[in-house]
Amino acid sequence: MASKLWWLIHKDLVIEYRVRQAWPAMLLLGIIVAVVFNLQMDLLPEQRPAAAGALLWLAILFAGLVAIERTGAAEQQDGCWDGLVLFPLPSSLIYVAKLAVNFIALLALECVLVPLFVVLADIPLLRHAWAMLLVAVLGSLGMAAVGTLVSAMTHGLRQRGAILSLLVLPLLLPVVLAGAEASRLVAVGDVGTQWWRWVQFLGAFAIVFTTLGIVLFGFLVEE
Amino acid sequence: MTNQKSAIQAQRLSKRIGDRRVLREIDLEIAEGECVALTGSNGTGKTTLLRCLSAIARPTSGKVYWFGRPAAADPAQRRLIGMVSHESRLYAHLTLRENLVFAARLFSVADPGERAEQLLKQIGLVSLADRQVGQISRGMGQRLALARALIHDPPILLLDEPFSGLDRSSRDWLARLLHERREQGRTLCFSTHDEQQTGQIADRTLTLSGGFLTGHPVVADQSMEENRHRHAA
Amino acid sequence: MGIITTSKSGRPVLWTSLVAVLLTGAIVAMYLAPTEQTMGDVQRVMYVHIAVAWLALLGFVAMAACGLAYLLSRNLWWDQWSMATCEIGWLCSTLTLVTGSLWAHAAWGTWWTWDPRLVSSFILWAFYSGNLILRSGLDDGPQRARLSAVLVIIGVADVPLVVMATRWFRGIHPVSPAMEPSMRYVLLASMVGLTAIMTLLLVRRRTQLQHESLVMQLQMQADEN
Repeated sequence: MASKLWWLIHKDLVIEYRVRQAWPAMLLLGIIVAVVFNLQMDLLPEQRPAAAGALLWLAILFAGLVAIERTGAAEQQDGCWDGLVLFPLPSSLIYVAKLAVNFIALLALECVLVPLFVVLADIPLLRHAWAMLLVAVLGSLGMAAVGTLVSAMTHGLRQRGAILSLLVLPLLLPVVLAGAEASRLVAVGDVGTQWWRWVQFLGAFAIVFTTLGIVLFGFLVEE
Repeated sequence: MTNQKSAIQAQRLSKRIGDRRVLREIDLEIAEGECVALTGSNGTGKTTLLRCLSAIARPTSGKVYWFGRPAAADPAQRRLIGMVSHESRLYAHLTLRENLVFAARLFSVADPGERAEQLLKQIGLVSLADRQVGQISRGMGQRLALARALIHDPPILLLDEPFSGLDRSSRDWLARLLHERREQGRTLCFSTHDEQQTGQIADRTLTLSGGFLTGHPVVADQSMEENRHRHAA
Repeated sequence: MGIITTSKSGRPVLWTSLVAVLLTGAIVAMYLAPTEQTMGDVQRVMYVHIAVAWLALLGFVAMAACGLAYLLSRNLWWDQWSMATCEIGWLCSTLTLVTGSLWAHAAWGTWWTWDPRLVSSFILWAFYSGNLILRSGLDDGPQRARLSAVLVIIGVADVPLVVMATRWFRGIHPVSPAMEPSMRYVLLASMVGLTAIMTLLLVRRRTQLQHESLVMQLQMQADEN
């Protein structure tokens, strides 16, 4: 089963590498959003971590949605989605594979955006690199879990992209809040109990929605 | 034929799409080794019926059985089915070989590389094996789609309009291939709107119209009897 | 009031009159309740606000329960309940935001502010609206029921997380406002009255949806014959 999971993920990554259908658009949007947000940041140094933390996660959210939308749309061409359903695989495995692809995309996005925020907003997010990494990994996992599920829900819908963001944005508010606060605490160097509480929250969010996705994805796959 | 076990069985199969009732309480049985043609004008639900029989679509009510067991109750059962539709189900940016190897791996075929090679030979596209699917002609794509459906050598093969859009030589080639599989005792069911094709290949022709099947949808005498009783009651 | 008085058979009249009495009682009670010292008459909006806020939350849980019941039973009857609950819930949710905003303007001098409960109410409203929009993009039938059911289930799992996340930021919303006993009775009356009318609306809307689907089926049959 693990090897099949890998081949499902591998296939998407190979196609992404060849066609570059999602990543460039995602990264570009992320960078543009980051720069535009930071243009407005004429703040005192002590206000910066709070503002930059929130803006960082909003940028990740908006740009990440582009990637999630595009990887979902690609699978729908030429009836490939039916092809996946016809494989002797539990639908939860397809969900986990798609979640993994979106998760990898979000991590790549964060590898660009976090350093960019360090430079543009002048906040030391990388002083405690491991703390930031933990926040990024758990936050991305929660985002990918919800995004993958809702993306499958909007398959074949008129105005797919618009409806996808409309449904995902409110669902992901907790991740944005928790990510923003945790990042602020990393930036001010306070990686103590308060930071840990937000990290636990992000972990809980990821677990809840990954589980729900595994259970509910079968209902979205059937026709 | 009556003594053979059934490969596919549908019981009171209904499918509603939006507020249209596309299929209405269809009873259908296809025996193992049989070749059945499904006809009917466009938009009568042939595709929907095949999608229900292959368990891509879930019936609104009624049941589908493969070899006597509820269809796809266990994902591993999907190995019993191969399906070709009007969409190729191929990834345009993977090569011909990569597409086949990918499918072979997910069907747990023993030697994916070897099996892909074998099928590429069979469909005569070995020389194009490393080209991306997006760069080959539609006819070739159709052949490759068929190869992909046969990758795990399924006992049941369902084909949705396999002859449409093929040139004469490809049609003959496909007819030969279907004939071959029948000789091997495999079960076949294909839809077509071309009456001419059906007689040459199929044992039985069923016609779908207004959501109902006509012809002889249920083979076994016993179930015919049951059917009559049920409708009389 | 038109909806309440149009029933033709006996039993609905009984129900509608009961609801009318309850609602009238609640409205009268709101007039009779003592005027709050610092805020004056504006405070009376609280009687409506708390009641609809509670109904919006209850409606969301009920909607998710209907969705779950649909996925387990595959009976479209549940989807009609889910749809009716969504519409009535959206109404309550909208009223919550509007009345809350009116009160906030008088009490805090601002229409809207960053506060856990305000944000949570807004997210609830966004879920209701999102579900309505998702449904409007799909044709009537099992597919719409299925997708909407999954959405409301993940929505209901998200609500507690939204509340938790926003509460860990500081808030200014009165958590349990001090009230005179008579005020508590008025609040109770208003909650009963509003719950009654919303339930009535819900049941009527569900019946309407059922009839709609019946008409559609008959029409299809007529077309085919």
